[in-house]
Amino acid sequence: MIELKNVTMVYKGAHRPALRDINVEIGRGEFVFLVGPSGCGKSTFIRLLLREIIPTKGEVIVAGHNVVNLRRWRVSQLRRNIGCVFQDYKLLPNKTAYENVAFALEVIGKPNRIIKAQVPEVLRLVGLEDKANSYPDELSGGEQQRVSIARAFVNRPAIILADEPTGNLDPATSSDIMTLLSKINRTGTTILVATHDREMVDNMRKRVLALEEGVLVRDQLRGVYGFEE
Amino acid sequence: MSFRPFYFLRESLISFKKNWVISIAAITTVALSLLVIGFFMLVAFTINSWMKMTEQKVEIVAFLVEGIPAESIEALQSEIMSWPEVKRVVYVSKEEALERLKKEFKDSDIISMVEENLLPVSLEISLKDPQKADTVYNRLKGRPEIDDIRHDRKMVERLLALTRTARWIGIVFASLLAFASLVLIANAIRLAIYARRKEVAIMRLVGASNWFIRWPFLLEGILQGLIGALVAILLLYVVQVAVVERIKEVLVFLPIGSSHQEFFRLVIGLLVTGIAMGAAGSTMALRRYLRV
Repeated sequence: MIELKNVTMVYKGAHRPALRDINVEIGRGEFVFLVGPSGCGKSTFIRLLLREIIPTKGEVIVAGHNVVNLRRWRVSQLRRNIGCVFQDYKLLPNKTAYENVAFALEVIGKPNRIIKAQVPEVLRLVGLEDKANSYPDELSGGEQQRVSIARAFVNRPAIILADEPTGNLDPATSSDIMTLLSKINRTGTTILVATHDREMVDNMRKRVLALEEGVLVRDQLRGVYGFEE
Repeated sequence: MSFRPFYFLRESLISFKKNWVISIAAITTVALSLLVIGFFMLVAFTINSWMKMTEQKVEIVAFLVEGIPAESIEALQSEIMSWPEVKRVVYVSKEEALERLKKEFKDSDIISMVEENLLPVSLEISLKDPQKADTVYNRLKGRPEIDDIRHDRKMVERLLALTRTARWIGIVFASLLAFASLVLIANAIRLAIYARRKEVAIMRLVGASNWFIRWPFLLEGILQGLIGALVAILLLYVVQVAVVERIKEVLVFLPIGSSHQEFFRLVIGLLVTGIAMGAAGSTMALRRYLRV
């Protein structure tokens, strides 16, 4: 589902590469943690998958697309296959929970009847059917993150990328969010979570990719966070 | 991916309402530049109709030598008539020439002082194409029957020069204003993009196509251009009705302004230009500020 071959990424004007010779393969339906201290290259890893940036060297293959030489107009097609969840939720403040989720379908041209069927369903999945008409500022952090997960998942992407999804949440809420992501993972969706939440990684015992200064230092099934702090 | 006009239009209108001040500034400049273009077009139409009027008048007058026999005149007349450039040849007798003169100077007593009719007999030649006046003139020159030739080339040339000047002034003004309009539209659209940057970021993230993201902004620019054009047309219409028609009533003999047909064509032209300006302005902004 995701494959990086000899990927090196050097930002313009940077002295050392943000990622150095990364080789990794993530299969369909896997749940993977991407861990490491800040500045280790986690965000670069995710931006490469979204083709927000193009690697200096190597190949990036996502959902069957070779991202590196993807035509510009195909990028949007690629992104429809990837749901994204961020630390700051990125919800539109002037739209309700329902509208935020529906927006993701509207802008890829889905017809209304599909929107009307899918949005309530996914809101039910994340446990927010009662809050469909609430605006983001009326929701707690955990609820906002659920809306964001609903938006990422509503189009049934093959992959969900979560960049520090629990960075702003307390431990109890974080664990709820991770439970939700596992639930989505069980539907066959590949999930990649970039995090430095040690406790969460240690509890879940999923595959762990550890990055340090742009190098993949560990790839461990049923792994733990591992870094000393 | 379907093009959804109502969705895009709604988004454009929402955005338009959000930054209406800058939108109105853009619309005003569009209207101003189109007003200038339209005004100069009206001037051009007027000069055009003046030219047509002079062209319809006699272009070349050949004054014949004194005492020429009637047969020679007839022969000359039918010969000139056979030339392809010539539309009409009219014979003006001495008596007719005097009559005309009397009419022209009916308020003065110059004519009464004339004792003998010394006016020459003449042939008035109108042409199919006024540009050919020189050819005909040269062919007439040196004919023994002809004493003197006069032609109205000067008048036509002066009008042509006037049109050219008017056109240049119009082009310079209009391009300056058009440039200002483009910049203002681009700026309005840039602000619209900025105001909606969060939405745009999310649209990109969830895989909205580039054109889906661009359309509302493009439409917003086009809308500004269109409204500007409508304002300009309205003002020109007011000028046409309130000013030009009024002048026409006073100066009946002098055609000014434009015919309905010309005005209609002007309206279409201004609408198209307004839309094109809006599209160009927003394209400028999209290229610079909305890298997709």
